[in-house]
Amino acid sequence: MSAVISAFIMISVGSTTANAACGKVSITEMNWASASVVTNVAKFLMEQGYGCKVTAVPSDTVPAATSLAEKGEPDIATEMWVNSAPVYQKLEAEGKVKTVGNVLSDGGAEHWLIPKYLAEKHPELKTIQGVLANPKLVGGRFHNCPEGWGCRIINDSLKKAFNFKAKGMAVFNHGSGDTLAASLAAAYEKKGPWFGYYWAPTALLGKYEMVAVDLGPFKSDVHKCNRKPDCSPKGISSYPSARVVTGVTTKFAEREPAIVKMLSKLSFTNHQMGEILAWKKDNNASSQEATAYFLKNYQKVWAGWLNDEARGKLAGLLK
Amino acid sequence: MSTFEPFFTALGLAEWCKGEAGQANNLTSLADLAAKAKGEEEAILSIWELPFPSMDALHASCAAFPKSRELSKGIENVFLDIKDTLSLVLDPLTQPLSWLLQGALWLFETTPWWMMIPLLLAVVMLVGRSRILVGFVAACLFGFAFIDYYTFATQTLAVIFVCSMLCVIVGVPVGIAMSRSDRLQRTLIPILDMLQTLPAFVYLIPLIFLFSVTEPKLYGIAIILYAIVPVIRLTDLGIRLVDVEVIEAATAFGLTERQKLTKVQIPLALPNIMAGINQTIMMSLSMVVIASLVSAPGLGVLVLRGIRNLELGVGLLSGLGIVVLAIVLDRTTKLALARVSPSQNQ
Repeated sequence: MSAVISAFIMISVGSTTANAACGKVSITEMNWASASVVTNVAKFLMEQGYGCKVTAVPSDTVPAATSLAEKGEPDIATEMWVNSAPVYQKLEAEGKVKTVGNVLSDGGAEHWLIPKYLAEKHPELKTIQGVLANPKLVGGRFHNCPEGWGCRIINDSLKKAFNFKAKGMAVFNHGSGDTLAASLAAAYEKKGPWFGYYWAPTALLGKYEMVAVDLGPFKSDVHKCNRKPDCSPKGISSYPSARVVTGVTTKFAEREPAIVKMLSKLSFTNHQMGEILAWKKDNNASSQEATAYFLKNYQKVWAGWLNDEARGKLAGLLK
Repeated sequence: MSTFEPFFTALGLAEWCKGEAGQANNLTSLADLAAKAKGEEEAILSIWELPFPSMDALHASCAAFPKSRELSKGIENVFLDIKDTLSLVLDPLTQPLSWLLQGALWLFETTPWWMMIPLLLAVVMLVGRSRILVGFVAACLFGFAFIDYYTFATQTLAVIFVCSMLCVIVGVPVGIAMSRSDRLQRTLIPILDMLQTLPAFVYLIPLIFLFSVTEPKLYGIAIILYAIVPVIRLTDLGIRLVDVEVIEAATAFGLTERQKLTKVQIPLALPNIMAGINQTIMMSLSMVVIASLVSAPGLGVLVLRGIRNLELGVGLLSGLGIVVLAIVLDRTTKLALARVSPSQNQ
């Protein structure tokens, strides 16, 4: 009898060492190009390699962070630009979410930009001092982030530190990221001046070549104060590279450790992501097709993310 | 996917199809990739999986046939080509709107509160002649000012004021013209339907390419195009609803067409016209948040901040502020309506 029981126990223990059948997984799909690629790659690998049933949830940074906190859904939030969602850091501190990896390994790049043709025509505009000495050359206006974005607080601090008002640089506060992007595109199409904030890797910057204006070195304590609306005095510091992470709920981390291990390795360099987005734009491809392009051409990269069993299941693609 | 290949071969287009396939179809779908991973061949499709002969499905069988995304790309290219000419025409036409909005915003913002609030209350008294209403409006304005929402509330008021005024100035004549011509009505009704249902962002983003995004006319156009519809429709309806016998009596009395319009039709249609104006103001307020998405100042900015930052209190309070403004304007215009047509007071 005890032999039967112990045999039973051994069999059940044995079966859990193999990949337990993965259940239902929900993952965010943020509404910008690089995030769409990241989500689709993760979704494909989870479905084909780990046998999960994956639902992609269209989302945005702050709603995703809140949903994670309040409802514990979705299971995975990827391409979280942590600087734009102070609420995420609070959740991390409280232990409600677990950051498993940096999905953009170089970090996101946030800069004040001018168009390339403008920088070539007037090289003095490559530094902020040059821009502030010739505000008319860049259109006399700084295109600022919408209210509610983290960069808005930082830009508002920097505009005070640089004293835009005295230098004759007006500030236009955009109502949404769409108008910010559209203003950049519109200016580029008619080869006009533009000066404002934008971030990479994005499809927009893949399409329109911009040059970053040098704001000087990055000073950590100055930047920390610039990030808080009530802190003063404001100082001058450039943007650090932004942390872009994949976060999971603690419940999911306990449920699916194999998937979490894969997600911790899932990451793209800015160069890789830029290449994918450029290919996407050149071929007028959809996000799914861009994902298929990545899977076909970067096999060495993604094969390293998987465990042996998943690699076996996807052997057909790894030839 | 060779589902439709026989169709193309039968039409004798096999050569044309292959001819353009020089650019190899390097766009694989994820479904194909998944099948490849499992080591399956492309399955023969059963009748249950027969695809509709859409542009994409036909393209898969014949590489020369355009994909559906070429349609949207084509529309985009057409727009980018004509935008310079369009902006040459539209920019000067809409510039007065920009000036009016900038002027109104400047006026409402620089007038100090101890001049602005009494002025607004005086206007309400003149229009409504009701002390209860004036008291209510005063309470609302003081409430806004007390919670530091005064600037935002006055900015929204300025924008709504200019846009509603322009809606009425343009809308009422259009409505009158519509009421006199069945053909015009038939042409305009689908356009009005489209203006009310087409999502604002669909035409706003292309407009950013035409005008500068910093121009107030962008959100002015968004609000006007949405809010002008009720006043046009209700003016048209009101004039058409005037009793035929009354018109006949007027003709019998020897009134000219113009006199009939100004002395008989418009006064009798006034309740409907005022209802239209009331609805126009309400609809312009409902566009406040979308207007703020294209950089309009006012309470919409606070609503968006509340949404983005998850400051639920800010979102709720500013939303309620918009509702309060709506109630104030609604009551005022309703009282004005009651005075204008005493036989039809609500």
